[in-house]
Amino acid sequence: MRFITLIGKNVVHRPMRSALTALGLSVAIAAVIVLVGISWNFERSFLAIYRSKGIDMVIVHAGSSNQLSSSLDVGMVDRLRRIEGVADAAPTLVDTVAFEDQNLASVLVDGWEPDSLLFKGIRILSGRSLRPGDDRSVLLGRVLALNLGKKVDDPIQVSGESFRVVGIFESDSLFENGALVLPLPDLQKMMGREGQATGIVVSATSSDATFLDGLRRRIESEIPAVAATPARDYVVADTQIRLAKAMSWTTGLIAMVMGALGMLNTMLMSIFERTREIGILRAVGWRRRRVLVLVLGEALLIATAGILIGGVLAVVGMRALMFSPTARGFIDPSIPIEVLGLAVLMGIGLSLLGGLYPAARAAALDPTEALRHE
Amino acid sequence: MSDVDGAPILRAEGLVKYYADGNVQALRGVSLEVRNGEFVAITGPSGCGKSTLLHLLGGLDRPDSGEVQFRGEPMAKLDLDAFHARRVGFVFQSFYLLPTLTAAENVQVPMFEGPWPRSERAGRASKLLEEVGLSHRAGQRPTRLSVGERQRVAIARALANEPELLLADEPTGNLDSASQDEILRLLGQLRERRRITLVIVTHSEEVARAADRRIAMKDGRIVGAE
Ligand SMILES: Nc1ncnc2c1ncn2[C@@H]1O[C@H](COP(=O)(O)OP(=O)(O)O)[C@@H](O)[C@H]1O
Ligand SMILES: [Mg+2]
Repeated sequence: MRFITLIGKNVVHRPMRSALTALGLSVAIAAVIVLVGISWNFERSFLAIYRSKGIDMVIVHAGSSNQLSSSLDVGMVDRLRRIEGVADAAPTLVDTVAFEDQNLASVLVDGWEPDSLLFKGIRILSGRSLRPGDDRSVLLGRVLALNLGKKVDDPIQVSGESFRVVGIFESDSLFENGALVLPLPDLQKMMGREGQATGIVVSATSSDATFLDGLRRRIESEIPAVAATPARDYVVADTQIRLAKAMSWTTGLIAMVMGALGMLNTMLMSIFERTREIGILRAVGWRRRRVLVLVLGEALLIATAGILIGGVLAVVGMRALMFSPTARGFIDPSIPIEVLGLAVLMGIGLSLLGGLYPAARAAALDPTEALRHE
Repeated sequence: MSDVDGAPILRAEGLVKYYADGNVQALRGVSLEVRNGEFVAITGPSGCGKSTLLHLLGGLDRPDSGEVQFRGEPMAKLDLDAFHARRVGFVFQSFYLLPTLTAAENVQVPMFEGPWPRSERAGRASKLLEEVGLSHRAGQRPTRLSVGERQRVAIARALANEPELLLADEPTGNLDSASQDEILRLLGQLRERRRITLVIVTHSEEVARAADRRIAMKDGRIVGAE
């Protein structure tokens, strides 16, 4: 008989209790994978937008934490272009709209100038891109077009106004695939923000960090009341992303702690019931360390089952989320390997933590006391 | 008996034991000697301190004063885990087999701390089960065995690492007289074959009669010895 056989038999001997503990842990693991995975993909998807367009810096109104709440004068773009180190600059106006008939509650809508650098990194799948002079024309992201069931040349109502689909595009970013692009003046008019942008993106002559830091200071000293942020920092500092990350981590952590408490409870119950057994193990010469390893091994085995089930639950959960209209197009159902690894490590770590106290108590048992236990 | 070679394997000197609440003095100065290969029976009324004495002799617990020596070594100086694993085997009234394991696996439990390679454990366990006459029950869990068979599995487990000393606390206390006779016969065979030293706490006149020597206890003291 191997030692692991002994561990396995002890776990399997109480199938219901072991299974429930593993299941509790698996729900926790799945929660971490899904929640952290979503926020992780969220950030990655955001970064992809900036990378593929060659955007090095984002300019917003000073004091605004994200583009949606910022407001800038589009005239500023020309002043920016003249600053040394700026290769190109483009205004962008961002808002959200609803397509109630299709159950899409909040779809991102971008107002861009035709020929702007913002069109980099998106590929036209059918139709054409926006041209100077276009109006009442929209480009649809691939996922949005799919969700709306629209093709090139179809009419489309955006916030109650009539447009025509001129092209369908694909981007490396999930956000853009679920978004639509309007000519900047059209969106400005619809929002009542003529001449304004929520942000201006800048591509610099170099992407070097120290160069960008110098550029940031030049921009902020030349143009009053703006904040320039390197694109990566901008994404990482975005309050919505930070909120999403913080919430997913907190929720995931709480779930994990509950899972560990479940483990603690199960293992404690198990060693109390087996007090005399443990006494006999000590009486036949088992060292304290072997008793400790036995109990920890049982916890670890249950944890392993929990992690495996949790992984499956996470994959199923992610797929299920894709059926939700608000999540569809916004959520990348892939599971980043880093998040998976993290969840596995956390599952093992917290299970060992939950098993440690019972294992230590078992190992500390006095053989005579244990044998007398009724 | 011819196997007794005179050298003491166990020597106890002035053993005193109180229990945690301090009100119970379980042993009030017990001294004794057990020679190599001897079969000693300890008798006396319930609560007189027999189990306490056996636990002290086997190093499962420490006396509050006095000393136990095993082959001249004070127990306090021994690596007790190694001592329990290799040199002494215990048998209890309630068997204490692990319910999740088969008879053969129960016998292997002490071997984890023994010197045997893993590949030999199963083979050694089946030899031991054969020795106690249970080869045909090797794959059964304890709940499927009769009480007499359970005690035989427990004896095989006590022998797993070939100890020199077997300490048994009322090993036939839960058995009918037919099973008791079998266990007694088995212990006799083991002594002959293995030259093992046997100390048995018992209420049974029959068991006590089979011993070389009887130690009678009362109220934490030895009151008679033959
Ligand atoms: N762990 C313990 N805590 C308190 N009292 C104990 C404990 N173990 C034994 N005793 C008491 O010590 C006395 C001797 O017990 P024991 O050695 O078990 O006697 P016997 O085996 O002869 O029946 C009894 O009065 C018993 O109640
Ligand atoms: Mg007793």
